[in-house]
Amino acid sequence: MSQNETTAAPERRSLRAKPFAKADRIFYRVSTIAANSSIVLVSLILIFLGIRAWPAFESQGIGFVFGSTWNTSVEPIVMQIGPMLWGSILLSILGVMLAVPMAISIAYFIVFMAGKKLGSSVSVLVDLLAALPSIVLGLWGLLVFSPVAADWAKMLHDALGFIPIFANSGDNFLRSPFIASWVVAVMIVPIIASITREIFSQLDRELISASLALGAGRWSTFRRVILPTAAGGIVGGVLLGLGRALGETVAIYFVLNLIFDINIFNILEPKGGSVASMIMSKFGEASTAEVSGLMAAGVVLFLVTLFVNMLASYIVAKAQPWRK
Amino acid sequence: MEKVITAPVARPATAEPWKRVAPASRLMLIVASVAPAAFGALAMVLGLRFELALLFVFLPVQLVLGVIAGRRISGKRGQSDAILQIFIIFFAATVFVLLVSVVWSVIESGAKAISWQFFTQNNVYISPTTSLEYGGVGHAIIGTLLVVLLSTVVTVPLGIATAIYLTETRGRSRSVVRTLIQAMSGLPSVVSGLFIYALFIASGITQYVGWAGSLALIPLMLPTVTRVAEESLFLVPQELRNGALALGAPAWRAFWIVTMPAAKSGLITAVLLGIARIIGETAPLVITTFAANSTNYNVFNGPIATLPTYLYQFTAYGYDTSIQRAWGAALVILILVAVLFVSARVITRKKKTSKKVK
Repeated sequence: MSQNETTAAPERRSLRAKPFAKADRIFYRVSTIAANSSIVLVSLILIFLGIRAWPAFESQGIGFVFGSTWNTSVEPIVMQIGPMLWGSILLSILGVMLAVPMAISIAYFIVFMAGKKLGSSVSVLVDLLAALPSIVLGLWGLLVFSPVAADWAKMLHDALGFIPIFANSGDNFLRSPFIASWVVAVMIVPIIASITREIFSQLDRELISASLALGAGRWSTFRRVILPTAAGGIVGGVLLGLGRALGETVAIYFVLNLIFDINIFNILEPKGGSVASMIMSKFGEASTAEVSGLMAAGVVLFLVTLFVNMLASYIVAKAQPWRK
Repeated sequence: MEKVITAPVARPATAEPWKRVAPASRLMLIVASVAPAAFGALAMVLGLRFELALLFVFLPVQLVLGVIAGRRISGKRGQSDAILQIFIIFFAATVFVLLVSVVWSVIESGAKAISWQFFTQNNVYISPTTSLEYGGVGHAIIGTLLVVLLSTVVTVPLGIATAIYLTETRGRSRSVVRTLIQAMSGLPSVVSGLFIYALFIASGITQYVGWAGSLALIPLMLPTVTRVAEESLFLVPQELRNGALALGAPAWRAFWIVTMPAAKSGLITAVLLGIARIIGETAPLVITTFAANSTNYNVFNGPIATLPTYLYQFTAYGYDTSIQRAWGAALVILILVAVLFVSARVITRKKKTSKKVK
């Protein structure tokens, strides 16, 4: 960077659009290599999982996804993950149903009701909840929450047991999808809440002021202005939460009975399923063929979450046209 | 019989739309906010369960009184506003109660297990029923730090360089990379662990070992680091970069002396959030590093214990003492996460104040 003070103007030089310095080329090369290695990493995971899972798909056929038996002591072994897959989906849907009102409420509270100071401290709390490791939530779910929730489940059963959803053939209300979905809900509330909060705070304030100036109350403003404008973002956040719930492992393993018997909607029965937890519970004493089955279960789970996540990012991107 | 309006309707001279309709509104607000709690408490005294009293006495009374007060104070729209606000506060309070319950139970039960030796000793000669005066999680703390450190050392340069690719270059595959990073954030942690298990352990390349755990954590950490770093680089105004380039700086210097310092706090936050994301991961570590009782300083040799696997193992034993140890480990994880979290907060706050100056 030596500059000659006496020359008035620098020498003419040709304009170039491409990086000309060697250091620049290295700079771009390094970042490109890094980006490409993430591509390679994802494809490597997919390809390798696919190769390892293929024997299971081949031997089990379509029944792998829809059947409901897992028996590795017979020959040929039967591996079917139907109940687990349905259990994962059921848990995620229930968890999302519990989480959405809470998440939207807390986002609305932070952005529109609380003042600046209270709002920012509440959002710190929400972020803290997001940072809690799932195994800590699992421990809390197992030892603190389960007994309480089992009481709730029993009351629900006593009051509404005639409706099939709340039926329970036994007297055990612990380790049911009901409880597990509450734990899942606690886990995904902060995800949905932080995205919803983000979208709410980016809404055009003039829209809201206009609505209030026209005489609309808080409710009509919420219903007619805020919700329609923010809907896409909220749906995206919900789907992201759904993806997280589908992949949740340890917390669910602590609070749910994994049983290979399809339980369509008896949410108070102590039997349910979760693909991720099943993988974790079975891998320890698995033979080579069974590991292949677990891999295949992992592939199915990954494809489901991948689909949900892609949908989510597409919707979130569509819902925030003001970004980029 | 339509009335023909010839001149614009004049606003009545007495109209004061900003004023509340009912003059006694403050009193009504007090009644509406105190009475439901009183009814709820009364119901509990009469022997109703807390949850039932809350749901079937407190909430309905609150709703009815809220609607009445809202209607009296600001007319018809006050009704629906009152209902909206009551539900919002009810649900928000539910989240708050759940959060406090989690944090408080960890602190309360964990504090009983924690002592100096719990931080320093390891798990050799400790059975699930050994009393809490012996043994601790020292080996697991060291293991967690080592495993996470190894993942961080690999992931952070990779993630930040990817973020640079996404924001600073005009590479052709940016959208592909962005999509794949997004996809990777949906990778279930257990699948990531299973991948490493099948690649290195089941195939006989190695036994259970620390570095396998670190590898399994990389796909989980990378999306967080990349996305937060990309976000913070994206927020640096384009004019700053253009200014540096117009002054004759090559792109790498423009990045090094202008863009990166401007985004520094965001990049540090990216690292901290990435660490917070993986520090409590359990499933991939159970599958890849397994558990060890002794202190292992070498990530490249032999099984290594980490806090999450310790917590998992001692919860699974199910004895009173082992569960107390698990709570203790949970508290240690919580402290680690809180430290990371608070430092991330402090760093981002600095960024905000420096922005105001501009």
